Amino acid sequence: MSLESLNEILNKINTIKITHKHKRRIRVDVKADSLTTLLELIKGQASFLHLSAITCVDWIEDNQFELVYHVWSYEENCLISAHTRIDRDDAKFVTVYDLYKPADFFERDIYEMYGVFFIGSPRMEKFILTEWFGMPPMRKDFDSEAYVQETFNWTEYNPDWLQELSDQGGGIAIKPEDIRLSGTLHNKATHREREKAKKEHVVGKGWKS
Amino acid sequence: MMKKELKIKSNKTNQQKQKRTNPLANVFDDFIDFCQSKSLFMLHYCTGCGAIELPPAMTSRFDMERLGIQPMVTPRQADILLVTGYVSVKTLKRVILTYEQMQAPKYVIGICSCTVNGGMYWQSYATAKKLNEYMPVDVYIAGCMPRPEAVLEGLNRLKNNIKNDRKEQKGSAWKDYYKNYDYYLGNQQNLFGKEWQTPVDVIAEAKLYGLEGEGTYGENTKKLKMVQHPLLPQEMKL
Repeated sequence: MSLESLNEILNKINTIKITHKHKRRIRVDVKADSLTTLLELIKGQASFLHLSAITCVDWIEDNQFELVYHVWSYEENCLISAHTRIDRDDAKFVTVYDLYKPADFFERDIYEMYGVFFIGSPRMEKFILTEWFGMPPMRKDFDSEAYVQETFNWTEYNPDWLQELSDQGGGIAIKPEDIRLSGTLHNKATHREREKAKKEHVVGKGWKS
Repeated sequence: MMKKELKIKSNKTNQQKQKRTNPLANVFDDFIDFCQSKSLFMLHYCTGCGAIELPPAMTSRFDMERLGIQPMVTPRQADILLVTGYVSVKTLKRVILTYEQMQAPKYVIGICSCTVNGGMYWQSYATAKKLNEYMPVDVYIAGCMPRPEAVLEGLNRLKNNIKNDRKEQKGSAWKDYYKNYDYYLGNQQNLFGKEWQTPVDVIAEAKLYGLEGEGTYGENTKKLKMVQHPLLPQEMKL
């Protein structure tokens, strides 16, 4: 199939925006409601049979999730990445399980990590994080560091031999205690300020889907 | 009746241990400790990247066998549990299940910085940080990763601890799991939820070994009684 006929198939969708990054790599931006139509078209008419992955990106400033469907054709040796954006507050999308069976796992993974619910997907349940009860951890508003501060303890280890070494001018240049919290190395925040910052963090516990 | 008799017997043996006057008895105890330190079987639970240092430590290059330490395939026959590398919360569950299956006396070695403090995974939500909050650890070998020489050094230290256990009380960290079971169980429940339960009845084992202490019971073990249900064999289905 030539490039022109592929373009012809893609252009059947009105709202599409096609970017040719490379002769084997095409980026396609579509609106959310026409994504399944696009996948059905390129699967049925252009031999894109293999769904390599579904990726999710959290655009917290735009209040949107971006879903990227990577579809590969063994005949064309070409990858189409179909980008679409959905609303972040009402994070729901329709499944493509009936088109591509591996979508089951990718959708489960995204549901667990981002909380995007896929309507019609066969198993919308816990996948890898079976011991996790908080909010989806890959969301940008989840503060992993604050969660760790609240949940786990830190081992203090200051042996005498290390003290002797540092008295002689050796030892460790940057102590692990000083770079434990991100940004403390540059800001040189005092211990009190760190404790204050710890309390002000809001950890997304008790999040409900 | 049988139970009562058993209890009295165990009490007697405890008293006898304290009131030993025969000088040869101490010699015999030392001999037992010596033998124990010379024959250790190791279960290496390779959770993270530190496991890559074990093949050279075990095989002919550094040869762990000259210290009397061999790898073992099942937890039931192992003496040492070697946790190599970061322990994710999901893995920690399996580590605890493995640890409780081992027969006393049992020893735990934490290799790599990750078992001490989470190491480079300190900011990760999915990694458990301090291994000794969930089970008593005998020896930590810090480093990212420690060289096989360091691993052997740590194992040697454990051997010395076992040999001099009766004098220095260093090689009996495993008793702490029975004496302070409430503390360890509480930390486990913080991560896994209040309905956390293992197939091993640790309190019954503590009674058997005569290691019940004030820390064995507490608020967390009360929760355990609430959720504990008898473990039945699983149905076989084809």
